Amino acid sequence: MPAHWTEETALKGRGHRSLGRRWRRVSTRSVIGRGPSRAGTGAVIGRWDPAAAARNPRKVSASCMGRRRRRVDRGAAVGALPEAIAALSRTLPAGPSPEIFRRAKFDRPEAAPALWQLLFRVLSPLSANGASAPPAQEAQVRVVKSELRSQGYPRRALAQLPEDGSQGSRELLLALAWLLARGPLLERLLAQTRVRLGDEIPLCECEALARPGPPVPRVEADGPVDIRHLQWLMGKLRFQWRKLITSQQEQCALLGKIHSYTRGCHSDRSLGHLSVAETELLRDAESGQQLLRRLESENVRLEAALHWRRQELVFWRWMDTVLGTCPPEASQPTFVPRIPERGAGEWELVARELQTLQEELRGAAEPRRAAWEARVGGWGPEWSAVQRASREAVGLELAALQRAWERGGAAAQPHGPCRLVKSDAGASGGPGLRAAQVIEVLRSREACLEAVLCQLQRQCRQELARLAGALPGLIWILPPGR
Amino acid sequence: MLPADCSRRLVAELRDALDACAERQRQLERSLRVSRRLLRTWEPAETSAPQPTPAPETSGEAPSPESTPSPQDLKELELLTQALEKAVRVRKGMSKTGERHKALSLKSGSAAASATTASAPSRASGQASCRVSETKPPRGIQQTVVPARGLPECRLLSVGDRTRMERGSRATKPGPGPRDQQIPPSAALQAPEAFTLKEKGILLRLPMAYRKAASRNSRLWAQLSSTQTSDSMDAAATAKTQFLQKMQMTSSGPGSGLSAAAVEAEVGLLRTACSLLRRRMEEMLSADPADCMQEYRCLLTLEGLQAITEQCLHRLQELRAAVVGQQLGPWPVGRCPGASLPCGGGTDPIWSPQLLLYSSTQELQTLEALRLRVAMLDQQIHLEKVLMAELLPLVGTQGPHWLALCRAVHSLLCEGGERFLTVLRDEPAD
Repeated sequence: MPAHWTEETALKGRGHRSLGRRWRRVSTRSVIGRGPSRAGTGAVIGRWDPAAAARNPRKVSASCMGRRRRRVDRGAAVGALPEAIAALSRTLPAGPSPEIFRRAKFDRPEAAPALWQLLFRVLSPLSANGASAPPAQEAQVRVVKSELRSQGYPRRALAQLPEDGSQGSRELLLALAWLLARGPLLERLLAQTRVRLGDEIPLCECEALARPGPPVPRVEADGPVDIRHLQWLMGKLRFQWRKLITSQQEQCALLGKIHSYTRGCHSDRSLGHLSVAETELLRDAESGQQLLRRLESENVRLEAALHWRRQELVFWRWMDTVLGTCPPEASQPTFVPRIPERGAGEWELVARELQTLQEELRGAAEPRRAAWEARVGGWGPEWSAVQRASREAVGLELAALQRAWERGGAAAQPHGPCRLVKSDAGASGGPGLRAAQVIEVLRSREACLEAVLCQLQRQCRQELARLAGALPGLIWILPPGR
Repeated sequence: MLPADCSRRLVAELRDALDACAERQRQLERSLRVSRRLLRTWEPAETSAPQPTPAPETSGEAPSPESTPSPQDLKELELLTQALEKAVRVRKGMSKTGERHKALSLKSGSAAASATTASAPSRASGQASCRVSETKPPRGIQQTVVPARGLPECRLLSVGDRTRMERGSRATKPGPGPRDQQIPPSAALQAPEAFTLKEKGILLRLPMAYRKAASRNSRLWAQLSSTQTSDSMDAAATAKTQFLQKMQMTSSGPGSGLSAAAVEAEVGLLRTACSLLRRRMEEMLSADPADCMQEYRCLLTLEGLQAITEQCLHRLQELRAAVVGQQLGPWPVGRCPGASLPCGGGTDPIWSPQLLLYSSTQELQTLEALRLRVAMLDQQIHLEKVLMAELLPLVGTQGPHWLALCRAVHSLLCEGGERFLTVLRDEPAD
């Protein structure tokens, strides 16, 4: 093995944090000893893989400006790769050591299990969140494969890896890099497991929907059921909602009390009072210790994430070489087409809605157009200028409407969890939302939804009346209206 | 009886809704338990005697927990430790009798007393249990500070223990009575007197370690969410896109770049689009045009909405073709469909929460009630659509027990399952 690899193997047994640091020290020493000859010629990659460096003699990229370029030129960033990887794995849950990454590049089988586990933790974070023991290796592998596939992972080689989790470390490394490249993966993971210090209230339900609870083991009713069973389930649901709302009211009352009893206790003046978590910390020393530990470990992860951000360019260069060592993918394997049942149902609903809407619009627009044409038929050319102006105005309005859903419209609505703070002043200045505003928004949304529901119910009533009217000799007495 | 596949689907939907509700209830119960416990009397801390504590300090700044105590402090420390040990013994003896008195004197009079006496002797953990207070000069309360060495972060207030002992007018347990003389009044020992948040919540202070960690935490989050633009960031971003492109090129996978997750996200967007379009249409239809101009605009808007709807339908067909034709793989598990989200739903998560200020409990209750009502309506609308899709066709085909079915379907769909209509047979009276 080439000389520098012996150093790496010597460091095998250490934890990743110490590995990173040792590496850095080792490399700077050796670089200083070696002088400037190796510096500046893709030294970042050359350190680890001289073969690749020979293939791609890469000058230090011009995009690294100023200080960074000098650092790279000096070859001091030779240790930056293991450092960056160490930072990355500190940020990730169950992050393996940089040694595992190195081995994965060469597709060594011993690196595979750790990477399977890492990907499992990353892709299904909440089910593995200490709820129960992590599932067996095969189950983990299956979950990883299916989740990557549904997110659109382009390489087919992943699906062909054996389910006992013994192979495929290079492919897994590529999958991890793919996930990292596509979006703010680290930030999302950190936000999901964020330590909640305040009393939070989610303003929109997107978090709750994206994070279903642990899957409940359910006995599927396979046979046909009576409609009374459905009625019973509906009633149960109604009752549960009522119970939920009363419990929530009680919780609000308790929160209000706790907030007012601890007025002035918080060191942060903008908050002013303690939250439940903080009061609990003071009441129970043990849970306080736990909270503190979690907070500190999150701080460590956050710092690692910031460190990673500063150094990730090195990693991406290295990943290019990893990709280079892969053989190109072969022909298309056969796949069994699977039409997802759940998704199909969703699709059907939306299609039906759009079609109904289209018909309604046509029914509304066509007669109006006819009437308009009849009226305006003989009008003069000065009218056409006005018509054009109207068309433009309407065009702009509709474009704005389209933007509202295409871009998500998130900016318009308050979004995300908010920390509750009781403040008597109700001052107009200062940061933060006011409850009164949010109440207004919610009221309008409630009115909207009620209108939609009423409209749907009306539709049903008409349809049923039509169907029932087919049978004469019956009197339908509707229940007393609301 | 309903047909099997229809039953299965409907039961599954309803059970999903029930599970979601149950999950919320579970989380709420957890929070309720914690809050209720906080508002009751706090269990007296175990007084683990072996904890060495630095000497009390009467005024001025709170000593940093890491300060080394002076010899005089150590002496007082010794005394205090002995006193605490004695207190534990006394209390254990008094616990039986003390319980009755506790029950009398506790304001809440809840069962907390029995719980505390049961747990107090057993809590012999080495953890710092000595809850101490810290003087706060602006408060002007002269209290003693006995920070626990082992757990610098655990502070509690010394109760107006002193004040109470001095006043002695409270109907407190006789338990602490004999102890008063043994423990120097400066020993801010957690007496069996109840600590309630209501009376003494104002005196709580957060421990230093926690404060540091929390402020560091918020600073780091702020840094993380703001490190979006810099030179190295741009370089990294280009490196990432290049990497993704290369991956796409080296693979033999689907070239369209559509994944099941992306399709699902788009379908969600189209659902939102549908509701927005419908809302605009209803606005147009309900508005009375005052003059020709408005009438014309109304017409143009309706036609424009129609065009957009057709575009959406077209896009939906394309997505459908992608799902079927390109074998996009399993649908992402676990997403709950059905709610139309005002926000994109797929937007970047907010890294750290912003503040929401409320001024009274009433306001908070209104807010929460509205929030839950909106969630409930969302769910109801989704269920309504699903039920309509499945049940109306059944009513259309006249099978056995058609009347009963019709009546049940009417109540489910039109009255939310709350009311029923009555069907009478119109017999000629003869």
